[in-house]
Parts: sequence; C-alpha cells; structure tokens
Amino acid sequence: MTRSQTIACGMACVGAMLVAAPATTAVARTTITMSGSTSVAPLAAGLAKAYLKNQANRRQARFKLLQGGSDIGINDVARGRVTIGNSSRDPQPSDPGGLIFNKIARDALCVATNRANPIGNLSQAEVQAIFSGRVRNWRDVPGSRVSGPIDLIVRTPASGTQDAFQSIFMGPDLRVASSAQTKSSNGLQQQAIRSNENAIGYVSFNFTKGLHLVPYKGVACTLRNAKSGQYGGSRNFWMVTRGKARGEVARFIKWIRSAGAARRVISTNWVPLR
Amino acid sequence: MDAAAPAASPAAPGRPRITGIGDWSDRRAELVLGALACLLLLLIGLMLATVFAKGWPSFRENGLAWFGSGGDVDQQLLDIFNSPANPDAYVYHLRAWPLIYGTALTTFGAVAVGLTFALFAAIFIVEFAPDRLRRVLEPVVRLLAAVPSVIYGLIGILVLAPFVDGLVSTERKESVAFVVQLSGANISVATLILTVMITPIMIAIIVDALRAVPRAWTEGAAALGVNRWRVMWTISVRAARPAIVAAVVLATARALGEAIMLSMVSGSRGFAPNPLDGLTFFFEPVRPLAATIVDNAEGLQVAPFGQTIYAFACVLLVSSIFLSVGGWLAKQPLRRYGIRP
Amino acid sequence: MSIRATEARGSSEAWPLADRIGLRLAWAAGILLCAVVAAIVLYVLVRGLAELRPSLLFERPLDTPDQSHGGGFLDPLAGTVLVTMIGTVIAVPLGVAAAVWVTEYGRPPGLARAVESAIEVIAGTPSIVLALFGLFFFSQGIFGFLSFTSEGGGVFGRSFLIAGAMLSLIALPLVFGATREALNAVPAHVREASYALGKTRAATIRRILLPASRPGIATGTALGMGRIAGDTAIIVILLGLLRFDGAGAGVPVLDTLRGTGSTLTSYTYANSPAGEGGAEAKAWAAAFVLLVLVVALNWLVDWIGRRWKAPAWTR
Repeated sequence: MTRSQTIACGMACVGAMLVAAPATTAVARTTITMSGSTSVAPLAAGLAKAYLKNQANRRQARFKLLQGGSDIGINDVARGRVTIGNSSRDPQPSDPGGLIFNKIARDALCVATNRANPIGNLSQAEVQAIFSGRVRNWRDVPGSRVSGPIDLIVRTPASGTQDAFQSIFMGPDLRVASSAQTKSSNGLQQQAIRSNENAIGYVSFNFTKGLHLVPYKGVACTLRNAKSGQYGGSRNFWMVTRGKARGEVARFIKWIRSAGAARRVISTNWVPLR
Repeated sequence: MDAAAPAASPAAPGRPRITGIGDWSDRRAELVLGALACLLLLLIGLMLATVFAKGWPSFRENGLAWFGSGGDVDQQLLDIFNSPANPDAYVYHLRAWPLIYGTALTTFGAVAVGLTFALFAAIFIVEFAPDRLRRVLEPVVRLLAAVPSVIYGLIGILVLAPFVDGLVSTERKESVAFVVQLSGANISVATLILTVMITPIMIAIIVDALRAVPRAWTEGAAALGVNRWRVMWTISVRAARPAIVAAVVLATARALGEAIMLSMVSGSRGFAPNPLDGLTFFFEPVRPLAATIVDNAEGLQVAPFGQTIYAFACVLLVSSIFLSVGGWLAKQPLRRYGIRP
Repeated sequence: MSIRATEARGSSEAWPLADRIGLRLAWAAGILLCAVVAAIVLYVLVRGLAELRPSLLFERPLDTPDQSHGGGFLDPLAGTVLVTMIGTVIAVPLGVAAAVWVTEYGRPPGLARAVESAIEVIAGTPSIVLALFGLFFFSQGIFGFLSFTSEGGGVFGRSFLIAGAMLSLIALPLVFGATREALNAVPAHVREASYALGKTRAATIRRILLPASRPGIATGTALGMGRIAGDTAIIVILLGLLRFDGAGAGVPVLDTLRGTGSTLTSYTYANSPAGEGGAEAKAWAAAFVLLVLVVALNWLVDWIGRRWKAPAWTR
C-alpha cells in the first residue's frame, strides 16, 4: 500500500470510531450502577433481570452491579461513583450526609454452624459469649456434637451484615473477638463454615445452603418466622441514593416497591415489605 | 518516507553532503521515537509521584512509628476504615510491623532456602547429572519458571494446606486459640510455595552462568588434578557470582511482589509469628504487604484507608527500587576482577 | 561443560571430606529437584486432564457467583486472549520505539539512562502496585471513554482496555530488553556501510536494523505474552469485579472493550477456596488450559530461537 492509501485507511477507521461513539450515546440509555452489600447483591441482580424482561425498560436502562460491602456502597454513592448503594444495615450517624435510604425488603440473618454440629438452640447470652471469645471450646457449649476450639468466622469491617450482627446480636457493649477469621462476602463465609467442622458464623438467609441454621432464642431461622416478626434476627435492606431518586432510578425503585414481578423475586429468599 | 527524504540534496560542486543525524527525516524520526520513550519516563515518574503523594498522609500522621509494633494491625485497619466522614477526624493510627515482619519472613526465608537449593541443583545439572536426565530436567525447570503464580496458589491451597492442617493437633490449636486461629494456611505453607515458585528462575540463571565460564579455566584446573566438585565450587561458582547476585535480585523482587498466591495460602491475618512459640511458630498465619493490599483493595474509596493502602504500596515500591540499586552495587566490586557482569 | 573424561581413574572416595559432602549435597539437591518437579508437573497434568471436558471450553460461565452446578469457561478463555492481544499491541510498538531510540539516537545521554532506569523500575515493580496506579489514573474524568461513566459522574476506571494497558507495562521491559540486545548484536560495520551508501539513519533503522532484529523482537514479544497471560493481580483489581451486567443491545466491539469480564487466571482464583465459585474441578481445568497456553508460548520462544536466525553478517 502506498503512503496515501495508508493515510486514507487510517482516517476512515478514525472516522468510523467517531461516528460510532456518539451513536452509543444517542441510544440514551441510563447506566444504573450499584455497589455495596453482598447480601443485597443477589436480590439486586434478580430484580434487575426481572426489570429488564420488559422491552420498554430494556431500551432505557442498563445495570452494572458490584459488591464490596455495605460501607463501600454507601461511600461510593455519596461520592457519585455509583448510582445506587446497596446496604444491608440501617443508617448510622457516621454516614455521609445527603443520602436517602430507600427500604426495599427485609432479610433473615442466621447464625450457622457446620452440618456436623447441629446445635439445638442458642440464647442471646450464649451467642454473645461465643462470638466475643469468652467461650472458646465446643465442650463448653451445650448441644454441640464436635470437640475442639471454636473457629469463629466473621465478616470484614466494610460489611453491613457485620454491622447488623453487631447491633442485633452482640449489643452496643460487646465486640466480636479479634482472633476471628474475617471473610469479605457472604459466599466466602458460607464456604468457610461448610468446610470446617468447628466453625460458627452468620450469613444472610440466601446463603444458607449446606449449613445448619441455629435457632435463635428458640425460634428457627426461616422466612416465615422472619415475616411474622417472631425471629429475632431480621434486618432491613436499603437502596441508597444521593438525594431523592430521579429519572430512571426513581422508576426502578418504584417498580421494586409496587410491581408484582418484583414481589415474586423478593419472596424467593427474602421478605417483601408488604 | 523514502520518497520524501532526499538521498542527497543538491550540493555545491565539490562538497559532498554528509547525511546523518542532522537530516530532516532523521530529526523527525528522532523526535517521534524520543517522544514515545519520554512518554514512558513521564508515566513512571507519574506513578512514583502518585503513589508517594497518596501514601504520604499515613506516614505523616504516624511518623517513624509507622514501622513499629503496637496493637493488632487488623483492628487498626478496621478503625481507619470506620473513620468518621469529617476530614478533620480521620483516623490514621497504624503500626505496620506485623505486616513488614511477615513480608520479611516469607521473602527472606524463601530466598535463603531457594538460593541454597538452586545453587546445588544448578551444580548438579551442569556437572553431575546423567545426560538423559539433564536433557529432560533443563527444559522442565525453565518451564516451571514461567508457570503463572495462581497455579502454585491452587496447589498450595488445595493440596498443601489440608495436609498441613492435618499436622496441627487440636492441643496446639487450643493453646493459641485466644489470640489467633491456626489452620492449614500459615507461614510455612506460604514460604514453601514461594520457594518452589522462585527457585526455577534462580536455577535457570545460575545454570546459564555456570555454563558460560570459560572452558580454559575449568579444564586447566582439571589438568592440575583438582577434582570435579572443587573445580565447580571454587572456580565456576566464583566466576558466576554476578549471575548469582542477579538471580537473587530477580527472585527477591518476584517474592516481594507476589500478592494473589500469598493471599490464598498465607492465612490472611495481620499477625507477627513469634519464634518463641516453638513449633507453633511454623503454623501461625501471616499476611505479607502485597497480600494485604489485595485483600483490602475494595476499601480504597474511604479516604484514610485508601491512603494507608497506598502507604503499603509505597513501601513495596521503595523496596524494589532499593533491591535493584543493591543488586547493581553488589556487582560493582566484581568488575575489578574482569568478570563481566 | 563436564570434565568427566579427565577423571578416568580414581573415584570420589579419595576426595577430601568437604568435597565429598559437597558432592552428596549436589546429588541430594538434584534428586529433590527431580522429585519436586515431577510431583508438580504430574499432579497438575493428571488433575487438570481428569477435570477437563471439551464442553467446558465452549460453555459460558453461570450467571451467579456459585459455579458449582454447571457452566464452563468460554468467557474467561476469550478474556485471556483479548487481554493478551491488547497488552501486546500496546507493549510492542512502545518497547521497540524506546529500544530503538535508546540504542540508535540516545541524545542527551542522561535522558537515555533515565529511560533505561525507568524501564528497570517498571520491571521490578510488583504488579499489584501497577494495578493500584492504573485504577487511580484511569478513574480520572478524561479517561471516561475507556470504561464507562455512571449516573453520578464517577468514572468506573476498570475495563478490558484499561487492564490491557496496565498489562502492557509488564511485557514492556521484556520487549525492550530483547530489542535492545538484538539491535546491539548488529555489527557496527553494517550501519557504517549503510551510511556510506547515503541512507539516512531513519532509513537504516527501518530497512536494515529492524528486519535484522525481528527474531529478537519476536522472542521478546512471546515472552511478554506469556507473562501477561499469567498475571492475576492486575486482572483481579482492574477487571474482575462486576457481579452482574445486564445490558441488552449496544455497540458490539466497543462495549466489550469498555466492559469488564474475567480471564482464566481470575476464573481459577474465583473458583478456588479463596473465591466464591466453589468449583474446584473447574479451577483445575482452567489452570490446566492456562498452563497449556503458557507452555505453548514458551515453546514458541524456543522455536523462534531455533528456526529464525538473525542474518549472519560476514564478521
């Protein structure tokens, strides 16, 4: 190819890209980015998929979902890095200002042990003693079927599940023992408890497959008990926006709260609001 | 370009034109290539400046005590992450000694064991191995040097860690349960896998260097009646010292920067293993700096936490720069003896 | 270089004690090396082959993080190929240009030494630090076109293009070093002959030096590709974080390049006990495919070295 042919070819390629770039924006679809809680993530993914089944919605919105933990989601949305922050813990005074928390569902937070260790019941005092490190061996826990030291599996600081566990089960004065192993998501915690006979931890209800769920204060951890309010360890799921939700985001959140399809998605492993 | 550049411009009669770097097309080529090269320079400068600038607040708030010990580093990282949103109230308190100690233990342990092993194995390959064995062993060792680290991590976490977990008795676990949980992912598995990962590179470099020793030297020594081992040890290995230094530098750099594999097998707990614990020392978890960065990479948005992570990256960057400079310095004295580095 | 022939008489029993110990140590190290090498290679081969099924290569991964009940790794395989291509396309021109400038021009000398040192710094930098820097650099507003910008104005800062760009920095020192060696191996009289014939320096480089260095550049490129294919830290930070991406129709090629995905390395990592995939069998299969890829690239380097020789100058 001669030199002028090369230059002409190059300019044609650049021209094609310049034409294509505005074409993408001309479609005018909003990209809704979500980040935050690993507990809310499967619910958000299911809701986004159901939302996009509608052809009209598909033309106007696209979704990207990240995780990282509730604190990450709240920080991200406060700085405008994402559109919606998923949070599995209630708002705290230390959260950045200007955020609106939109409740979308409720969830059951279960204390879980390995299948080889089906404990019958744990009271709040027992849970506090185990997770704060005061009770360190399984022989001191009534109803346990394994022996040896207790392996605590908890979540990293960014986790909303960790915050929810702290406020609901541990109370304001006690902290989880610092010798505990930390995992950064529900899935990792589920895996860790499943593979270690001496393990005990806490997971969102969606991640309880393969684990033994310990009844708390005499009430089993099921969706029905969470819905009726009998189970003591239920908590809220929020979608956090910076300021009041507008445009496509507002439509999405309104759809979650009102549409039957959304309610069906939530009812699979979580508790719908109505 | 040929059409545009005149092979020889119209010259005054009797005076040949010297074509060289002063020619117009040359200048254009030089500028373009030089600009690309300087782009690289700028990029690296930008990277150094960014990492130092973003990591500086953490060093400023802690001073030299940043490198000291005092308290549970995981708890301190948690507190930094939970800092209030007000910039005046950011928490920076950190004593990173457990992480630095863990990095030093795994890296230097792996390099020390690896170098000894690599030296003797290289001598074996060059001098004592049967021909057929050598023809198989050498390419395989070079291949192992190129294996991605995630595969070593997989072997470590799926094969070695459960095996070591079985070695740790319940009594041992109970004896330290109030401080830390013992499991199969600990410092000995991490150091072992790291050694296996960096040794092939060292073997390959040292074998090349041993082979490059002039034949006159080795044959001359043999003619004088020196036995094979002594020839290798006193002549070839001494002549290969620059290459051994280069191999150590390369291996240390790789060990320092290994993040993913170590985060899989080292226990993920910022803990300083205590040699006074006896045998338990070998089973305690550790978390080197690079693995800490990977484990905490999601929290970069929280300002003081992100700055702490960048401070870790600073330490790694400065270490690798010192390592290169140190390697260059270590080779300087060897120049005097005519050994080409 | 063995001197076995000279030791026709006398065995090692006559040696001094220190030398005999040294000999035993060398043999012990050699046998241990064989054992470890055989163990690793055989284990990975056997395990990987046992878990590898052809369907895995052609099925896409499941939508959920949990991969234990189905799905393959077609997407990660394509991701590895894509990211290697992007990294190589960026690294090779830059590396060759820098090497040519440093070798052939190199004025002022301080600047040339600075460029060489900078590339050495890149070579020694841990890839996790490169990943952190890439995340910061490409999250600035002007680079929004390389990934995507979300509603609140924040640039995402992670995509195939960005990961490929940072991975190119890993291959760059290898390409630079190989090109520089190849250029230095061309004797001075070849350049002088070219100048004597009246060619400009630029023409000499283009017509003579670069074609003569092609084997060296190819070797460096293959080495670089091998290192890019095996890197995990940059992929995990700059590519592997999206849990769900519901898009529908868009601009085909640009969307993929500006989107995220996974590669064989991050897939292996995610399916090991360190990640959420929970499918160890698939992790072994993916690791095996990755190993085959890296072995093929290294064998390519050897083959280039053997078959494609630099021109033999007369001296």
